[in-house]
Amino acid sequence: MAAVRGRLSGVGFVLPAVVFLVLVFLVPLVRVLSLSLHPVDGAGNPLPEFSLVQYQRVFSETFFSQALVRSFQTSFLVTALCLALGYPVAYALSRVRTGVLRTLMFVIVLSPLLTSVVVRSYGWVVLLSANGAVNRLLVGTGITDQPLPLLTSYTAVVISVTHVLLPFAIIPLTTALGGIDPHLRRASQSLGAGAVRTFTRVTLPLSLPGVAAACMVVFPLAMGIYITPLLVGGANQPLAGLRVYSQITSVYDYPVAAALSLTLLVLTLVCVAAMGAGFRFWERRHDG
Amino acid sequence: MSEPNSEHIVVASLTTAYGGTRVLDVDRMAIRRGQFLSILGPSGCGKTTLLHALAGFVEPDGGSITIDGHDVTAVPPHHRGLGMVFQNYALFPHMSVADNVAYGLRARRTPRPERERRVAEALDLVGLADYARRRPRQLSGGQQQRVAVARALATRPAVLLLDEPLSNLDAQLRREMRVDLRALQQRLGITMVFVTHDQEEAMSLSDRIVVLNGGRIEQEGSPQEIYSAPVSRFVAEFVGAANVIEGVGTADGVDVDGILVRTGLDEEPTGPVSLALRPERVRVSEGEEPLGADGRGGVHGEVAHRAFLGDGWETRVRVGEALALSARTDTEPPPLGARVTAHWDAASVIALRDAGGA
Repeated sequence: MAAVRGRLSGVGFVLPAVVFLVLVFLVPLVRVLSLSLHPVDGAGNPLPEFSLVQYQRVFSETFFSQALVRSFQTSFLVTALCLALGYPVAYALSRVRTGVLRTLMFVIVLSPLLTSVVVRSYGWVVLLSANGAVNRLLVGTGITDQPLPLLTSYTAVVISVTHVLLPFAIIPLTTALGGIDPHLRRASQSLGAGAVRTFTRVTLPLSLPGVAAACMVVFPLAMGIYITPLLVGGANQPLAGLRVYSQITSVYDYPVAAALSLTLLVLTLVCVAAMGAGFRFWERRHDG
Repeated sequence: MSEPNSEHIVVASLTTAYGGTRVLDVDRMAIRRGQFLSILGPSGCGKTTLLHALAGFVEPDGGSITIDGHDVTAVPPHHRGLGMVFQNYALFPHMSVADNVAYGLRARRTPRPERERRVAEALDLVGLADYARRRPRQLSGGQQQRVAVARALATRPAVLLLDEPLSNLDAQLRREMRVDLRALQQRLGITMVFVTHDQEEAMSLSDRIVVLNGGRIEQEGSPQEIYSAPVSRFVAEFVGAANVIEGVGTADGVDVDGILVRTGLDEEPTGPVSLALRPERVRVSEGEEPLGADGRGGVHGEVAHRAFLGDGWETRVRVGEALALSARTDTEPPPLGARVTAHWDAASVIALRDAGGA
């Protein structure tokens, strides 16, 4: 009896969160799913019958399918960049033990998260516009004759998205690197291994859970991101998130937006699941 | 190869500071080839810092470390060729036992057949040949400790540094490992530097003991010397928990804040004196016996505490406000509160260096 009551009171603790998630996440998701499975009439209103035509459109119309491919590529690129840029920072952060410097470094690292999206993106606009600091520098030093279209470029999108998502890579990496017993590095050195060997044979393998966590956080966020590319690169950037956004806000084609967003969701989940499986496979092989 | 018993490691004028606080100040410490030397001291005395300086993990602010006549003060740890066993063993959790042991050989690019032979040999040495494919976390604490020793020995270092390697083991295992470690050291003829805060461990393992206090060498000597002739109050109390009697010498005995203690020495010392008495040298008898006869020292007091230890009794004799003496006896002491005489042979009295609180 007591055990049952104990279990029931446990349910009581999670119930508010469950209700909240069902209301704001599961219900809308089911709505989106049903929306994507109906054809529309001429006025854009969903018709009652069932059809897969929206998904057909997502895969056959290059406007959508190429955006999916581009989102996929961009997310991979951004994840790789976040790892490459974040790892050294996390390494440094995990080695700093003194309070003030550590706090300062964390504030700098987390600053993209503490700033609103609009302010952050506007910062990039100011920097990259035709009259922005970067172009003035380029023209002023004579590297280019005319201002470059930096703002609407794909490069600007990749840079700004990487900037936004970098903290999500640095935090798990720092946790993983900080969790490595410093005596292991010393043990490696005492056994005759130099800095490079110690890093590749001890530090790096032991930080891989952090690398996996970073990938599994940054990649899905990059797949779904749209505000930053919208503000920095403009609405015409061929990214799936932006296509969903424009279908809803200017074309009012809700069913195709629903189909595209669900396709994006499934694609993201499949990628994350594959990453997780890959990591677990590696872990089993190397960790008995 | 240098001669056996020659000076293997020499530490000279070594100083280290953390944030302006000097944690280590060693004038000279020499470790002979094939010697088992313990660095003994309480926590925070700088013993681990000294060991890390030998290993190269701590860069000293001044002084030098010489190994085999070569100054290695500026040599990075991975070029010093020393073996090290860490307090928490620091085994690589992502590698098998065999890969852990092979790590140092791989770093030295030892050819595979030779490497495999030496890994097997090292595991054999610590009796873990059957565990080569296990992961460290699948082993017990004692087994992990032995893997750590095997890993450090696989590269055949001339010196093995050990940082409290037995402190995470339970008492029974610790005693066993003590015997094994000493036997291993004597079989291999390797120089071992062993850091510990456990005086019993240091006593039973070492050829020589260095007692460290506040970053300085308090005393260096054989276990017997350290025990029977401690030079300072610190050593006397830290090693063997001696009774220390500090006071002013008079013709009738040592005056400890008004309490007169007969030392039993032929001539009572004069001036400020600091004496040590081992608890096992103090006898307790019921009633107030006359003092100062037949070369025996003593005081009167009452039994303030008594405890049965299994192999004997510990009695605390309260003499007065300023003095209480511990005694270890084989026979049951008088009951609590009884008036007793604590006495000892004059030959048991150890004169300490730091008389007068110097």
